[in-house]
Amino acid sequence: MTDLAMPIYKKAENPTDISDKRIERGWNGKIRTAPHSKSNTAIKALMFSLVVITVYAFLTFDYKEIDFADAIMATLQNIKTVFLEPRLTRDTVLGMLYQLFVTFCLGILATIFGAIFAFFCSLFCARNISSPIIGGIIKSFIALIRAIPTVLWVLIFAVSAGLGSVAAVIGLTFHSFAYLTKMYSEAIEEVDEGTIEALRAMGANFWQIVFQAIVPSTITYLVAWTFMRFEINFTNAVAMGAAAGAGGIGFHLFMAGNFYFDLHEMGFLTYVVVIAVIVLESVSTKIKEKVK
Amino acid sequence: MPILEFKNVSKTYDNETKALNDVSFSIEEGEFVSIIGPSGAGKSTLLRCINRLVDASSGEIVFDGQDVTQMKNKELRKVRTKTGMIFQHYNLVDRLSVIENVLHGTLGKKSTFSGMIGHYTEEEKLRAFEILESLGLADQAYKRCDELSGGQKQRVGIARAIMQQPKLILCDEPIASLDPKSSKIIMDHLADINENQKITCIVNLHQVDVAMKYSERIIGVSDGKIVYDGTPEGLDQKTIHKIYQSKTSDLITDIGGEAHE
Ligand SMILES: Nc1ncnc2c1ncn2[C@@H]1O[C@H](COP(=O)(O)OP(=O)(O)O)[C@@H](O)[C@H]1O
Ligand SMILES: [Mg+2]
Repeated sequence: MTDLAMPIYKKAENPTDISDKRIERGWNGKIRTAPHSKSNTAIKALMFSLVVITVYAFLTFDYKEIDFADAIMATLQNIKTVFLEPRLTRDTVLGMLYQLFVTFCLGILATIFGAIFAFFCSLFCARNISSPIIGGIIKSFIALIRAIPTVLWVLIFAVSAGLGSVAAVIGLTFHSFAYLTKMYSEAIEEVDEGTIEALRAMGANFWQIVFQAIVPSTITYLVAWTFMRFEINFTNAVAMGAAAGAGGIGFHLFMAGNFYFDLHEMGFLTYVVVIAVIVLESVSTKIKEKVK
Repeated sequence: MPILEFKNVSKTYDNETKALNDVSFSIEEGEFVSIIGPSGAGKSTLLRCINRLVDASSGEIVFDGQDVTQMKNKELRKVRTKTGMIFQHYNLVDRLSVIENVLHGTLGKKSTFSGMIGHYTEEEKLRAFEILESLGLADQAYKRCDELSGGQKQRVGIARAIMQQPKLILCDEPIASLDPKSSKIIMDHLADINENQKITCIVNLHQVDVAMKYSERIIGVSDGKIVYDGTPEGLDQKTIHKIYQSKTSDLITDIGGEAHE
């Protein structure tokens, strides 16, 4: 064929000509390396204005009669009390462990409920096994739930359930559900369409495909995301203990800091929470390795 | 009575791509038919219309005495249990074991719940092992499928299809991703199943020489139309070039030894 006889790439007659045309130079005549685009310019402009605003703000603060040396010393003193002299003064170790357990349970309940709802919901949102219209509707609904922070959900449910652990669990569940639905459905969308098609071709029905192909193919991701959410829920449950009076270690932390001004105890409780989070993190890493 | 009959079947994707254009043919029970044609000719579409992974736009497809194009859930599921399918990319559940994948062949006949939890009878498990043994895979039964080579995966695919005890096996380019040696093993197994178990086989291929060697009958598809339907012996250079819409000596699959025009 005649087409094939033609060379695909035309050789440049004079190589420097071409590269001269391709090289771009900035305002100072130097050769550019980043592409010349509107977004690059926009980012630079944004950075510059942020710096200007920050400098201006600091210069115009109303500092009143704050003595900086004193203020800094007092702050350092408090930090020292909290972090270097932690001590249980009002509660026993057993009592504190019980409070930790309560928080733990709040997190677990919210995660389990959220995970169960999310699993079934994600089946109807994943593009490869559901209709795109239903999936699209659910996904935008889910995005809406996620856009509103957990604390707000807890407070919203507190209207009907009253401030306390019930509102906290429902609120946490609600947000976990939305978060996990997104993660699960994304994991499900990664499942090879061919595999699903093969099971369909054998006469397997929807639920058989879900449990024989989708679950085995995605279980690592499902477990990993669920545990990840549990970590988030645990820290959220600490915060909700304080913010929504849900009880647990968060509530005690709040009381120690804001009611009794007992910074020693506050420090101790903070350390306990940090340790609990580290333990959870390492357990989650172990679990992820196991289910591979 | 033919086991499969296409009557003026057409398929148009998205109201524009005409993948099948008034296709008619029939296949007798026990035949081994190859479908050849360039990529995009409509071979996969043709196979998928039979088990309704794709819905034909018009025409009738009669399989085992029933028109499949009008079927609803339950009947359709029954037809699917009677047709095995083998894919180019094997399409196994990689994280499950070989034996679990083979047992998937029984899902269509099971209740939703026992299929969901993967509950199989002892007879089913025994039969799965026998099938694996016959394909030389009994040693691999408890391995995870992602540990297997391509050739082994395709044999698991065959085992899964046989497990269905199908009347018809549809193979969509079963050897397109395999090396020549594994390809031969796969084709030999398919030929063996066809001969000894009397299961009708329809195989999409793009290797003309393989089609000529293994099949009793070749259907050439080009641009959604059947342009050849007959014995391998009747397939000459001219027809091959017509199927592939190519000029003389442009094909690497030209039959060795035969003079070019
Ligand atoms: N799901 C689909 N949606 C739209 N067009 C498709 C789809 N599947 C196949 N086609 C088109 O139909 C034609 C036939 O495709 P196919 O049956 O896959 O051919 P082959 O298997 O012979 O390569 C091609 O033009 C292809 O692009
Ligand atoms: Mg194809």
